[in-house]
Order: sequence, then structure tokens, then C-alpha cells
Amino acid sequence: MSVLGHDARDEPFQIRSKIAVVPQEGGTIGPLTPWDHIYLTLLARGMSRSNARERAEKTIGQLELKQYRNQPADSLSGGLRQRVRVAMAVATDAELIFLDEPTLGLDAVSRRRIWGVLNQIQKEGRSILLTTHYIDEAEILSNEVAVIDHGRKVLSGSPAELLRNVKERVRVDIVGSTFAPEELNSYGRVVRLAERFRVLTDEQRGRELADEAMKRGSDVSLARVSLEDMFVDLVGRDEE
Amino acid sequence: MSTTRQFRAAVIIGYMLSITWLRRNLMSLVWLFATPFSLLFIITVTTGGRSFVLGVIGSLLLVLSTVGTGIAGDATWYRLETKLQDFFVASPVSQIGYLLGIAFAGLFFASPALVVLLPLLVYVGFPILALPIALLSLAGVWLFSSAIGYLVSTFTSNLRNGWQSGLLLSVIVGILPPVFYPAEILPHNILLVTYAIPTTNAALLIRDAMGTAPTLPYWSPLTGWFLIAVSLAIALAVTSRVARWRQH
Repeated sequence: MSVLGHDARDEPFQIRSKIAVVPQEGGTIGPLTPWDHIYLTLLARGMSRSNARERAEKTIGQLELKQYRNQPADSLSGGLRQRVRVAMAVATDAELIFLDEPTLGLDAVSRRRIWGVLNQIQKEGRSILLTTHYIDEAEILSNEVAVIDHGRKVLSGSPAELLRNVKERVRVDIVGSTFAPEELNSYGRVVRLAERFRVLTDEQRGRELADEAMKRGSDVSLARVSLEDMFVDLVGRDEE
Repeated sequence: MSTTRQFRAAVIIGYMLSITWLRRNLMSLVWLFATPFSLLFIITVTTGGRSFVLGVIGSLLLVLSTVGTGIAGDATWYRLETKLQDFFVASPVSQIGYLLGIAFAGLFFASPALVVLLPLLVYVGFPILALPIALLSLAGVWLFSSAIGYLVSTFTSNLRNGWQSGLLLSVIVGILPPVFYPAEILPHNILLVTYAIPTTNAALLIRDAMGTAPTLPYWSPLTGWFLIAVSLAIALAVTSRVARWRQH
């Protein structure tokens, strides 16, 4: 197996200097500050002081950690600590960054901040291998997606390619349905999600159903099918 | 990375995990002072001061072996809880660079205790000109203990076991061998077994430099240095071959 042009078995050191990782569910180190974590990790990787300082400053700015820069990590919230851990990897000059569930347990704002930085890394021409259970995250960030089920790759391709595996084009979510089950079934495939009914169908029937639901006073939304619908369809674990 | 850069990485990791920590949390020093100085106190009081010199030698060796074997717990924490090890596995830092880094952290943590104990050693009669002998033998003990502490940590599956392993190793390396008590009181066979532990040889070498080493079967200063070198080489070789350097 080759990674970044190097044989993984024979040239591990050449590969290691070009990669970085954010492991899943780790912590920060007690009283060390975000600055200590990021700057000293860069120095240990062999960067010069000026380069490490510059990259640490830039990443702290990108991840909006400036006001926490000199606070002990053990006084920060879980979301801020996770941002520090992400910063330790993205601040490096690694060509390939492995991110294992980088936004696990984060609020929506923190997730989007991290997405913004990952997007920036992509623009710099660096590669990211992201492992996530959040399908929307994979859909938004990825050029290539591989679906793993029970440790085996079951499908891969671009998000657009993967969506072609779903027969239906749109989904209509109806909350507090005033429709009889048979009536909904006549519009398309129905999936029950707690108090919500999701109908997967084609565009025209989707619009018809949405119009009808609005007439009947139901809360309704119409959207194109997502990778999450594809994933649930593929691995068959929905609450149908 | 070249050897020089690995060494630089080790010093930075050591600084990161000790000095930056100590600057904000002096409480961390307590455990390093507590056991050696408690033993020194008990030994001095119970022997009416007659074993004070042995107590100082033992405390010095216990401090350095404890920061080394304590890596069994610390490195387990870095691997399993903070996942710091994962960051360095996916970096140009080698396993030996990382091990040396954690060992430096222990040494930096130990430095306040050493600042007290080394002058005390000179005060009780250790010749200043022979200090390199003491420092070299202490360095051997520190590196040996660090290597086995790290080796154990890589096979430890939970944090509590890591701390317990470190404690057990500390007793085996720093308490049971004849460092706080005279080697000459040990039965012949047991004495020969303790020669395999570097702390025994370091204690005897320090006593030899002070002119108080006893005549022991199969032991001379040359044998002592040889045994420290061999045990250190074996510990480092086994660690670099057997310890697991991978993402958890």
C-alpha cells in the first residue's frame, strides 16, 4: 500500500512526516494552554520557532480561540478543548490529515467553525481523511465518500454519485400528519421518524404532497434526498 | 528526522509535559518529594542518624527510578486518555524520541528534589570531583527505569493499571534493592539477583566513590558499570523492538 507516494511498510518515517491526526475522543493536557498545545506540538514536529509561531497564531485565529489562548485547557469547555485538538493537527504542514470524528459532541456553531477550517485546508491543496457518523458533515465537506458498514466498505464515490443510488429525488417531511397511512403510501415510500413522516418520492409528487399538507395545516418541508437517506436506505437501519 | 532533531523533539516534549505543567501546578511536586524524603526521615530517625548517608543515596536513586517507572502510568494516560501519543505517532517524532521526551519530563519534574539531594550527598562526604560518577550512574538508573516504565505502558489497557504498574515497578527498582540499606546484609543468592537491577550498582558505585563500599562477591566498580550498561542496553533494545508505537 502506498501513502503519498511512499510504501507504507518500507517507508513509514517518510509518511509520518507528511501526516497528522486528530484522534477520536481524546483530551487536552491539564494546565497547558491552547497556545502551549499547538505551538509546542509544531516545534516537536521539527518546525522552526518563527514558522511554528506564525502557524499557531493563524490557526488560533481560524478556530476563534484567541480569547482563550492563554487559559489552562482544563478550564475550557469540551467544545473549546476539541477545537484545540483539531488545531494541533491542522496547524501542521501535513499533506494528509486524518480526522476521527472531529466534531463529535460539538454544538452547531463549533461544528461549522471546524468545517470552515477544513474547507480552507482543502483549498490549500491538502487532503483530509475524515471519519464521521454525521452524514451531513460527510456530504458538505467531502469530494469522495466511502460508506463503511460493519467494517466493510459497501459503497464509495462523490456525494452526487452516491445519491444516484437512491431511486427517489426529494423527501417531504410532515409533522403531525393529517394523512391516513394509505394516502401517504400513494405518494411514495414512507419512513416514520418519531412524530414525523418522511415521504421519499419524485419531484412532482413531492410538490403535490407538500401543497396538500399545507392546505391541511400540517408542518411540512420539502428537500432533495440527502446522503443520510441514501445511507439509511443502504444499511437498512431506519425506523420504517 | 535526524538524530539531532529527534533529540530536540524530545527536549520540547519534555518541556511541554513538565515545565509548562509545573509553572501552573506546583502541587505536582508533592508526590516526588513525599516518598523519598519520608523514607530518609524514617531511616534517619530509627537509626539515630547512623544510616543518614544510605538514606540520601537511596532517596536520590528512588527519585530518579520513580520518575522513570512512573512513566508506566503517565504514558498510559497520554495514550489512552489525552491521546497525545496518537498526535506523535502521526508525526516525524520516532518512538525513541517520544520515550526520551517523556523521560525528560520526569527528569525535569525531579530536578527540584535533585537540587536538594545532590548538595546533601556532597555534604555527607561525596567528593565533588567524583560527581560525574554519581551523575552517570544516576542517569543510567533514570534511563533504565524510563524504558521499562514506557514499555509497560504500551501494553496497559486501562489507566488504573498503568498507575499500579508504575508503583509496583518503583518498589522493585527503587525500594527492594539495597539502596536504602547496606548490600552486605543480604544473603549471597539474593545479593547476586539484585546485581541485575541498576539501582543496586549505582548505590554501590556511589558508596565506592565515598570510600564506604563493602567487599562483595563478584562485584567491583568495573563490574558495576558493566552491569548498568548491559541492563540499560537490554531495556532500550527490548523497548524499541517490543513496545507498540501505533495509534490506539
